[in-house]
Amino acid sequence: MSAALEIEAMMASYVRERLEIDDIVTIEDVTRIAVGWSHETWLFDAVWPSTEGEHRRGMCLRRDPGNALLRQTSDLGEQFRVLRCLESTDVPAPKAYWYEPDPDVLGAPALVMEKVSGECPSPWRKTGREYYSAAADRGVLPLSFTDALAAIHNVDWREAGLDFLGVPDAGNSFARSEITKWRGLIDESGHSGHPVLDDLTGWLEAHAPSTDRLTLVHGAYRTGNVLISHDQVSAVLDWELQVIGDPMYDVAYMLTELNREGTNLLSNVVPRELFYERYQSMTGIEIDDEICRYYQLLYAMRSAAFWMSAAGLYADGSNTDLRLARTEWSVTVALDRAAQELGY
Amino acid sequence: MSLPIGEQLQRISAKLRAEIGPAVTDEYTRTQTFMASVILERISKQIVLGSDHLKVEQQEVAMLHEQLARILVDVPDVIVHARLAAEESLEVAALGALICELYAWGADEKLVEDALSLIRPVLRADIDRRMEIAR
Repeated sequence: MSAALEIEAMMASYVRERLEIDDIVTIEDVTRIAVGWSHETWLFDAVWPSTEGEHRRGMCLRRDPGNALLRQTSDLGEQFRVLRCLESTDVPAPKAYWYEPDPDVLGAPALVMEKVSGECPSPWRKTGREYYSAAADRGVLPLSFTDALAAIHNVDWREAGLDFLGVPDAGNSFARSEITKWRGLIDESGHSGHPVLDDLTGWLEAHAPSTDRLTLVHGAYRTGNVLISHDQVSAVLDWELQVIGDPMYDVAYMLTELNREGTNLLSNVVPRELFYERYQSMTGIEIDDEICRYYQLLYAMRSAAFWMSAAGLYADGSNTDLRLARTEWSVTVALDRAAQELGY
Repeated sequence: MSLPIGEQLQRISAKLRAEIGPAVTDEYTRTQTFMASVILERISKQIVLGSDHLKVEQQEVAMLHEQLARILVDVPDVIVHARLAAEESLEVAALGALICELYAWGADEKLVEDALSLIRPVLRADIDRRMEIAR
């Protein structure tokens, strides 16, 4: 049986049971996206009869194969809880339907959520960059993209119940906990590392900034991680790296050159001045360039950790995808970046 | 006539990229074929350049230790030992432990900065050599 047919059969039975539907549920338009790197992601429509004709509900299934990149930091159960908490906020995000931890039910621990309308062009492809450039010219998406980040930072995270993510102590414990997290991923990867990384880690620990304002932080807010419909952000996706922490961590990710290619537009879509003005006015948070610079160095460490972890997955035989094998050389590129960020 | 292994891998990589990959219809398998081509190309470069890189690395690290030995005199034993251990291997990779000890000590900021300013050009050169292969 093909993987798509397996999904059809499993989901038909699962949706019928969870929604307590007496009639037959059929699963249509099954499509697999995001092959290989992270969680398996499937889109489909669940269809069942009703007195008015038929019910059709678009759904998205994410499954954890257990050998995906960032499996240590990205638990589907946590993603489910975060999405549930966000339902009472202004953050555009998919509704979470169910979390199924039992691997025997859907073939792996799984999260089922709403299929939100919209498109998600890759900013790493020419067609994607052209899409964002044209949207920037029309002027609506830059505002919506900035507003969605402001909405994340404006969430009353205690009220929303997001404090289960862990709340850093006062002082510099947020930055230090991120360093510890990425150091842990590097250690777990089994990669031999490089002295540039030791230099970067030492520098980051010695210069960790204090944080006096804590917000919900997405952790990877950029084009490619949001769905767009009619030039508006219809959903923020990829809730895999969220923390309670310094909002400048997200702002630094907006400002970094890593997330734009051949353009001055932040994340390929937002003019810098517009972002500063709009973000500060929507959040009341002043952007601190010096702290953002610090977090850009932290992102250099995070990139190295990602690639080392990916290369480690291939090296230890737990994932045979050759794209992971290739990341052995992406580690060098990340180290080159880290050295440049440190000024050499 | 037999081909040197680096050249052999280079040719296989080129064939995968130009002929075999484009003929594969399944998208995932085609991507894997192109990745195999890229990986073989990198390994080929590593084989061709590896021994030259190693010689240069050892020379640079040896010179670095001569300089470090002159300035890391009035420092805790743990730093002296870390430097001596790094000197034994003459590999850039062995400098990591010394860097960690320098940051951990941190008592004499100027001396730490002076030591790092000697070490960093050697790290930069090592990354440049690695980038020759990674590009």
